[in-house]
Amino acid sequence: MYQFPKDLYADVRIEENYNLWLGVKNGDLDSDGSTKEAGAFIRVFDGTMWYTGTTNKLDEIQKELDNLATLATPNPDILNHPMVKLLEVHKDTVLKFDGDDDVRKITREKWKKLLDGYIAACVDDSIPEINYWQAGVNCSHTKKSFYSSKGAEIHQDMQNCWLTFFVGITVDGVTNYGGKAYSKIYFDELKGWEEEVIKERDRYRDFAKNAVQAEPGEYTVVLSPCTTAMFTHESFGHKSEADFMLNDKTLQEEWVMGKKVGSELVSICDTGKLFNHGYVPYDDEGTKAGEVWLMKEGVLTGRLHDAKSAAALNEALTGNCRAQSYQHFPVVRMTNTYMAAGKDDPEQMIKDVKDGIYVYMVEYGTGQATFTMKPSLSYRIRDGKLCEPLRINVLTGSVFETLFEIDAVGTDFELFDTYTCGKNGQSVAVSAGGPSIRVKRLTVN
Amino acid sequence: MREKMMFEEVVSQIKYEENKLLSFHRSSTDTTSYRVYEDGKVGIHYQVGKMSEEEGFDLAEENLKVRPRPYPFTLESGKRSRNKIEREVADRELLDLAKECMAYICENYPRFVFGASFSQRKVIARQNNDAGMEYENIDCAVSVDINFKHVDSKDITDGYFSFSLRDFDKEIFTKMADNYLANYEKEVELPEEIIIDTQYYGFLGILNSNLDGESIALKTSLLSDKIGEKVFSEDFTLVHDVSDEETWFNRFWDGDGCVTENDKRVFIDKGVVLTGYADKKNADKYKIAHTGNAYTSMADIPGAGGLNFRIARSEKTVKELLNGRYCVIPVMYSGGGFADNGDYTMPIQCAMLSDGEKILGKLPPFTMVSSMWDMFGKDFIGVGSDNPIFNDKQILFRVRKGNIL
Repeated sequence: MYQFPKDLYADVRIEENYNLWLGVKNGDLDSDGSTKEAGAFIRVFDGTMWYTGTTNKLDEIQKELDNLATLATPNPDILNHPMVKLLEVHKDTVLKFDGDDDVRKITREKWKKLLDGYIAACVDDSIPEINYWQAGVNCSHTKKSFYSSKGAEIHQDMQNCWLTFFVGITVDGVTNYGGKAYSKIYFDELKGWEEEVIKERDRYRDFAKNAVQAEPGEYTVVLSPCTTAMFTHESFGHKSEADFMLNDKTLQEEWVMGKKVGSELVSICDTGKLFNHGYVPYDDEGTKAGEVWLMKEGVLTGRLHDAKSAAALNEALTGNCRAQSYQHFPVVRMTNTYMAAGKDDPEQMIKDVKDGIYVYMVEYGTGQATFTMKPSLSYRIRDGKLCEPLRINVLTGSVFETLFEIDAVGTDFELFDTYTCGKNGQSVAVSAGGPSIRVKRLTVN
Repeated sequence: MREKMMFEEVVSQIKYEENKLLSFHRSSTDTTSYRVYEDGKVGIHYQVGKMSEEEGFDLAEENLKVRPRPYPFTLESGKRSRNKIEREVADRELLDLAKECMAYICENYPRFVFGASFSQRKVIARQNNDAGMEYENIDCAVSVDINFKHVDSKDITDGYFSFSLRDFDKEIFTKMADNYLANYEKEVELPEEIIIDTQYYGFLGILNSNLDGESIALKTSLLSDKIGEKVFSEDFTLVHDVSDEETWFNRFWDGDGCVTENDKRVFIDKGVVLTGYADKKNADKYKIAHTGNAYTSMADIPGAGGLNFRIARSEKTVKELLNGRYCVIPVMYSGGGFADNGDYTMPIQCAMLSDGEKILGKLPPFTMVSSMWDMFGKDFIGVGSDNPIFNDKQILFRVRKGNIL
């Protein structure tokens, strides 16, 4: 396909992207558009550094490849470079969306009908506190082709369909925003959620009317499955990305395999094999998806790699080298990351708490040594019962301590497809999951 | 009527990972929006990469038939070109510059591990139409982002500093590196009065959302009943500013093609909220003042936004505003933010103590607590006339201390 330069490693990643969106705000069609875009990311490696380029001119990829090669220093031993040696060579085609389920074949009219149906069912003008609402649908389809100088040739595709419904509820001059978002792979999977959307709308309405400010301090906290999902991603997932510890002795010693890093109730896995939002059959340097148990029963058992970090730490590839788009250099990222289900009854986990907090929903989180989560819906637990809704600005904990503080893991496992993860200025689609968990001590600010 | 919006962007970037040269990257991207207007509607075709003008407008005309978008407004006209380029560096020069800077910090601060990005970005924006508009804005800057981690730290990263310059000066880099790193290992205590000193971009989003004319009209803004009232500090004046005297890569026209007088507009004057912002669509819909604030959508019609807020500077320097007091530089802070009622809570993972010019030592982590009303009201101290520490404008305001992490 391409004439790859001699004595260098090189790869070419081509993307063809399609997007469509429709948005209605307070009854007006506020946004309505679609785009098609194609581009390529080209990498050349000479054993010392990468020379990379981006182009939208697909007929000039060879020229760009040749130009980059002139900047690099030929290395006759390049195939024996530890990183290059590790890179896998697959020839495969994994195109899942060629049939009627391909979102590129769903007409704008069908999307509009779906959106109008939700608006008719979920907008209630008789509710005086709701003075703002917006509803939207959008979809994306990406086809990727990957070619390497070692002989890889992979074609794969992925698509996503989104539905969002949000309201602004004004009580005493303050507007609270809340709603529900759905991310699915197929168009038809977005149908039939009206009752749940209305339930969430009314939950936020109750919150806006009745929530009280939480007293800062340390609490026993029960996290809903959706909150556990973010907790898992932020508190532990990011520490499993090996690219931050390539030559760092302090971190290598801190995160040594076999070390106990959490409660024996906790096991955490990442896999790009699951057909969810973080589905990545092959990563962006051609590695086939794996299944990595990052933690088993509280013991560190694995971490996520690209070829560079795997070579540096002398570990196996995992299929976690991902880029946001053809405009970005791929780096180590999570895919579908989840905490495995436990044996505890979620209702009993709340009943056993005399004085604590139940976090139902979070907006976002961050994952340094001190991780944070910003709850959007929380409730006080008193004598084992859920009581008044609480306003909590931020929940914090130390990753080195909190994983040991988990004393119950529920049976109610769920995987959530609405997450997007940010790192090094790049956003990628991920799924995150888990069951309800109880943490003996988290800080409420 | 036909209209064409174009962006040409060329980026060169050198990346370092754990003190070592990782990559050189170069990209060149052309994007164009072809628009055909007829009877209050517009058809749009968005193109990434080159395409002939004829083909682009043909596709826009087709979209005018199948997916017309409402645009019942007169197209703007005017001729103006603004070229802010002071210096363009060649790729080899950028690489040499990156190597020099990295050699300096790696040799002088061996107890840190560095990740870095040195990039040059050049953007040419153009818009023209059959009404006689010919606008062009050209800009170019070199940006440096340094992440650092102490060798003994168990965290992924411990801090960062960054800046952009139209004419890169290595001396500014070395001064900033010395300031951030020289006293990092010296532990100091949090002063009783906590005065935050930081670049202010991350704090203005709350004003952006509450000054939205649509929110004000719908009564969903915290400022809905405050127009004409003095609700912030006498020293607090907020200006939309695309003059590009102090910021980069702003066009002087908005998504509707409108230009404000002197490329500025005041929204809060000495604490008094003057007006909300609006594009043509919202001004017409809600019968509110049109302020020339629309974001550009290359694939759709514009919407309200496109703000570039700047807080008016004090006549005093940062050090004069501090008047002998210390200030706190939040180096790493994330996970919190503004609540719907304007309350503000933010965990600071890494903070440094400063006298307003020199960084004196590292503070323990803490959580800063304030609100929109306080940080721009009773606790607002000012924006200094000079640019110490960040080589950029910086806000000073008092906060309360929340829980220790």
